[in-house]
Amino acid sequence: METSRRDLMGLAIGGLGVIGALGVLYPIVKTLAPSAASLAGALVEVDVNSIPEGQVRVVSWKGKPVFVVKLPQGLQWGGKAKEEKNSKLLQGQNAFALVAVCTHLGCVPLWKPQGEAEFNYPVFHCPCHGGFYSPWGDVVAGPPPRALHIPPQAIRDGKLLIGEPGFIKELT
Amino acid sequence: MIKTVFFTAISLIFFYIIWINNFFAHKEKYEMPAQYARIAEDVKSYAREGKQLFEQNCQACHSVRYDSVYISAVQANPKLKTLQEKYGKVLPKDVYEGVFNEDLMALKESFGKVPPDLSTIYLVKGKEYLFNFTLEPQKVLPGTSMPAVMTGRPEETAKIVAYLKSVSEPTPEEKSKRVLMGIGTIAYLVVMGILIWLWKGKILKRMGLH
Amino acid sequence: MLGRLGRWIDERAHLSELWQSQMVDYKVPKNLTFPYAFGIMALVAFAIQVISGIFLTMYYQPDVNKAFDSVNYTIMKEVPFMWLIRQVHAAGANFFLAVVYLHIFTGIYYNAYKKPRELTWIVGWLIYFVLLTTALTGYLLPWGQLSYWGMVVTAEIPTSIDSAPIIGKLKIGETISLWMKGGYEIGQITLGRFFGLHIWLLPLILLLLVGIHLYLVRAAGISNPEGREIDKKKEGVPFHPYITLKEGAYVMGYLAVFFFFVFFHMSHFLPADNYDPADPFKTPAHIAPEWYLLAYYTIFRSIPDKFLGFVAFNLSLLFLLLLPFLDFSPLKSARNRPLFFVMFVVLVISSMALTVLGTMPPTPTNAILGLLFTGGLFAFFLSLPLISIIEWGWYKARGGEKR
Repeated sequence: METSRRDLMGLAIGGLGVIGALGVLYPIVKTLAPSAASLAGALVEVDVNSIPEGQVRVVSWKGKPVFVVKLPQGLQWGGKAKEEKNSKLLQGQNAFALVAVCTHLGCVPLWKPQGEAEFNYPVFHCPCHGGFYSPWGDVVAGPPPRALHIPPQAIRDGKLLIGEPGFIKELT
Repeated sequence: MIKTVFFTAISLIFFYIIWINNFFAHKEKYEMPAQYARIAEDVKSYAREGKQLFEQNCQACHSVRYDSVYISAVQANPKLKTLQEKYGKVLPKDVYEGVFNEDLMALKESFGKVPPDLSTIYLVKGKEYLFNFTLEPQKVLPGTSMPAVMTGRPEETAKIVAYLKSVSEPTPEEKSKRVLMGIGTIAYLVVMGILIWLWKGKILKRMGLH
Repeated sequence: MLGRLGRWIDERAHLSELWQSQMVDYKVPKNLTFPYAFGIMALVAFAIQVISGIFLTMYYQPDVNKAFDSVNYTIMKEVPFMWLIRQVHAAGANFFLAVVYLHIFTGIYYNAYKKPRELTWIVGWLIYFVLLTTALTGYLLPWGQLSYWGMVVTAEIPTSIDSAPIIGKLKIGETISLWMKGGYEIGQITLGRFFGLHIWLLPLILLLLVGIHLYLVRAAGISNPEGREIDKKKEGVPFHPYITLKEGAYVMGYLAVFFFFVFFHMSHFLPADNYDPADPFKTPAHIAPEWYLLAYYTIFRSIPDKFLGFVAFNLSLLFLLLLPFLDFSPLKSARNRPLFFVMFVVLVISSMALTVLGTMPPTPTNAILGLLFTGGLFAFFLSLPLISIIEWGWYKARGGEKR
């Protein structure tokens, strides 16, 4: 009887001690979480009309580089992507934003309006390990596991609003 | 026994005086009518309105940098936007004062000094002082260069104070969260202390050391 | 599984032997009173300061343009839970010093500075002195009005030497003052070096001194409230679990009080005036040092002559250091020494009164009171040799018997 009660108390103290240690760790770990300011939905406004057709501009959204792509009207693209995921989502848009981070290992791909290597039509080429993307960000060739991410965006008065849910509701 | 009581009491009184309530130290007291005090306290209902009033009445001279509110001349400057894109909404003090030096110096020209930024003023002065000073600056601080902008508008002044409080202090939800956290921490320590004490008794009895 | 891993490590590191020899076989007197727990509380306070301080350095920026905002915006508003860590650090500094003061007074009361523990006392005094410097350097870092002006005044104190009759000509004080500030004004250089001192040099010195202090406590044995050395074999109780559990419970109580202040009463530890950014052209209306320096401050300002005031407050620090040699009586512990007990009460009341007087405006009445209590403080130290001589008389009359 006596021992079991003592053991119970020892267990209670041990358990409470663990809870206390976790309680101390919780705020300390939490300080390492992203701060309020960096979480606030950053909204980037890009004047699409100022970008020449067939060109790409790089802007910063939530600290990440983002391509703003402006395609020529009625572009006939000669290539073939492995999977037509992004081009379906972006159908009918000739100006849109793509997260400019290669899905392979995080480099920033280069825009090749004249093509590169055996691809003689506009592509994104990642210089690190030779990934190729279509102008909509679908994988054409190389190691990338998936298409480039598309941030939420909307078009209003000739301005592309990156970060505001519009024709793309959320980050893919 | 008497000695223990004496030393405990004198230590407690000493720390009470220096840490909690020093009735020897000189303190300035400002009064504030209860109905306005209630407004100034109620951040939830009045801070938003207070911010608008601040923009209309105070922003010509005063900034609230922690809320990314800058003086009117700066707010109208297109440079502000590009700087905010680079540095974030709350500009670093040296960037702000460096880039907009001319605007700030223009204010210095008229008032003799750059009117202070009001981000933390609520914490420094408290609502009673701010209320009285804003209503009648000359009465509270004779010779001050602060113009009597709000004289005769106590309710609006109280709302501005509510806005300043909302900038300086955590939100009411955050505050109640902290209170809970505090109570939880203290309760934990008290329970743990008692448990250890009881356990000690048990173990010592078993060891025959009691 | 875990047990096997534990045994595997233990067979190689012999940790359980270390534990047995240092914690269980280490015997202490059974009659240790509550005030003996102030030592462990100070150790806990030190650990809290180190941990919270490390996290604060991640966001604090030692730059005169950024320091204030990094404290009051980044730390207090932006990064999750940093407000808590700052409040713990600010309250922790005050609690650390409070506990150290209580520890010092306990040591005086039980005569823990006497043979064979003189060295423990001297190292303890060094810890106290380095701790004051650490607190002083840390106080500048938030770069508020009180931080700035507190340092302006502190840096002026050494110039008191220059008003001395002959050595004043050498301008030693001014040189010291300039070396403290790193120039004629308190600016970026001052902030940078105080930051380095506060987060690196002084804490490392403290760590070393605390280690030596603890070693000396073990080496010389812990003192006894009754003032006699115990026969450890017969009367001692094992340090663990007897003292660890007892003082563990006390520490929990201490932390409960500490967190009450952290969560609900920070107005003294983060004073309102320090939320005002430093302004070299405007002195705040009420400027006084922190409470742990106020007694020295009152001694300094109550004495009408600047140089003599300087000498007096340094002398009080020196007397504290020399306590083991001022008091050479064969008797130990205030429990056995009625005369010493009376003077100890005089010391306690004087130092508390001097501290409280420091918070009051310097009126002529307060100056006289300040002088009176300064007298009380020095009376304690100067009476010790006298009491010792009388007690030697008693001791001899009783035939060399200790009690």
